[in-house]
Amino acid sequence: MTEPTWFRLHTEGGRSVLYLQGAWRLARLESIEARLQRLTLPADTGIDASALEQIDSAGAMVLLRRLDLEVDAASTLAWTGLNEGHRRIIDRVREQLAVGPPPPAPRRQSWLAGVGRRVTLLVELLTGHANQLGGTLVAMASLLLRPHRLRMRELVVQLEQTGLDAIPVVALVTALIGVVMAYLLGLQAEQYGANIFVVDGVGIGATREFAPIIVAVVVAGRSGAAFTAQLGSMRLTEEIDAIRTLGLDPWQVLVVPRVLALMLALPLLVFVGDVMSLLGAMAITGSMLDITATAFVARLQDVLDVRHVLVGLLKAPVFALVIAVIGTRMGMTVGRDTRAVGAATTSTVVQSIVAVILLDAAFAVLLQAMEI
Amino acid sequence: MVADPEPQVAPDRGPVIEVDGIVTRFGAQTVHDGVSFSVPRGSLVALIGGSGSGKSVLLREMIGLHRPSGGQVRLLGTDMWSAPQAERNAVRRRFGMMFQDGALFSSLSVAQNVAVPLHEHTRLAAATIDQLVALRLLQAGLPADAGGKMPSALSGGMRKRAAIARAIALEPEILFLDEPTSGLDPITARGFDRLVRSLVDELGITVLVVTHDLDTLLTVVDRVIVLSQGRVLADGSVAEVTAVDDRWLNEYFSVRTMLHGDRIDGS
Repeated sequence: MTEPTWFRLHTEGGRSVLYLQGAWRLARLESIEARLQRLTLPADTGIDASALEQIDSAGAMVLLRRLDLEVDAASTLAWTGLNEGHRRIIDRVREQLAVGPPPPAPRRQSWLAGVGRRVTLLVELLTGHANQLGGTLVAMASLLLRPHRLRMRELVVQLEQTGLDAIPVVALVTALIGVVMAYLLGLQAEQYGANIFVVDGVGIGATREFAPIIVAVVVAGRSGAAFTAQLGSMRLTEEIDAIRTLGLDPWQVLVVPRVLALMLALPLLVFVGDVMSLLGAMAITGSMLDITATAFVARLQDVLDVRHVLVGLLKAPVFALVIAVIGTRMGMTVGRDTRAVGAATTSTVVQSIVAVILLDAAFAVLLQAMEI
Repeated sequence: MVADPEPQVAPDRGPVIEVDGIVTRFGAQTVHDGVSFSVPRGSLVALIGGSGSGKSVLLREMIGLHRPSGGQVRLLGTDMWSAPQAERNAVRRRFGMMFQDGALFSSLSVAQNVAVPLHEHTRLAAATIDQLVALRLLQAGLPADAGGKMPSALSGGMRKRAAIARAIALEPEILFLDEPTSGLDPITARGFDRLVRSLVDELGITVLVVTHDLDTLLTVVDRVIVLSQGRVLADGSVAEVTAVDDRWLNEYFSVRTMLHGDRIDGS
């Protein structure tokens, strides 16, 4: 099949006529444009559209733009043979093109402005978190005066979702961490015949550092993300506004139950993590290093000072507070479109994990200085 | 548009939408029990009906999103449920759909939203696509600077106009609109009606609109199809439909007389 020609330029007795033909539709715009590129119009050309079968607004647009480039005042060209429907489309497109091109896109910022903007955003983010932390603490303190305002029902629901429902995944992850720690320590200790010291290492390492950190990371991914997604979609559907309008306090209804639930649930989960990581370690030391369960427990009792366990358990509510504050705040301030909820949820998880690890490092230094 | 050597020179007459004996069941509930109608090229047709009469489901069945339990839908002569996949995809490029809340992609700017179908289905140069996008925005009645905005920064009316711009990006032959004026103030809504009318008159697009808006019906629509009890209750001009004796229809059209005060001092 030969390529349709779309138009033909015919010169006769010093006068040129551009004959349009075929169907000028968006579907064939590419080929029309390619042909138009090669068109040069002599001055005072007439346009004959009597063989034009179809033209849509896209076809009209490329034609008019080309004529504009070729001829000084394209609107003065003499058109003949244009049928009524085609004339309407061409006239309308001509009007719309006359509005002019859209304003150019804003210029790209320099990298310095970009850095400045990011720093400002970070500062705004952190002050916002501080603000949310303050608001949460005030709301919780006001509960001390009026304890009946605590939303018991919501608290219990949140305890179930953040605590009870998290037990299987927390147990699995920490047991595996216990196995890995005991295995790696065992490989080293075996060379020196110091098998029993594996219990010391795992006992202190797991209860003081690894169980709290691992559990907090799991909870940040589970519950922190859930807080942001829940509150974010509530904000999207104007439920939070409805709560305010009904004379209720979103802090009391939404934030406090979540923060309290997480602060109660996380230490309990860390305890589960402690037990599971020790059990995991016990399983591997039994088979690899011939340390019986009895010997393991006896050694644990000798070397694992209770303060290590307590340090681990007491870090948990602090981690929980930070995770819950970040999660609820990101949810309550999310932008009003669906993409923003996803972005805020991702951001919550990243921020929470970073915050937990920074806090843990601070704890390590602080407790070292205090010789605990 | 690669596997398409010859442009479809569709006949100017003859129905572009044919709905034939559509039956829809959800479990034991029958929503449509033999719905049939056809829409000729170049007309503006409204589909109305009470809540739960299955207007939106019918619309989804017409555009190939929901499989009917029985019956046929033909758009531009292609059966939307039994034709080969390639043929149905080809038809998909020849109709546009505007969803109720616009369904704009929230991660893309308005101009990028409009450009999506052009990038997907044509191999035009980027500059041409930019020009076409600007034309579409103007055709949808948006100011030229709206293209750079994100959908979340638009008002309800502008969001709907942006959705129209995306729906007509490929210069469709049929345009489906789901509740285009819902949630708009009366002035914006009338402007929208004029826009839809101009698409029909100037670009020759066939428009099927699902609506509740009585003003849309009375001012710009050529023909009304009324769904009730799973069937087409009435099909004709507004005057013909008003004459049909049905409780829901009578109540529906009487809202207008109440507004004009005929019943206010009487009650």
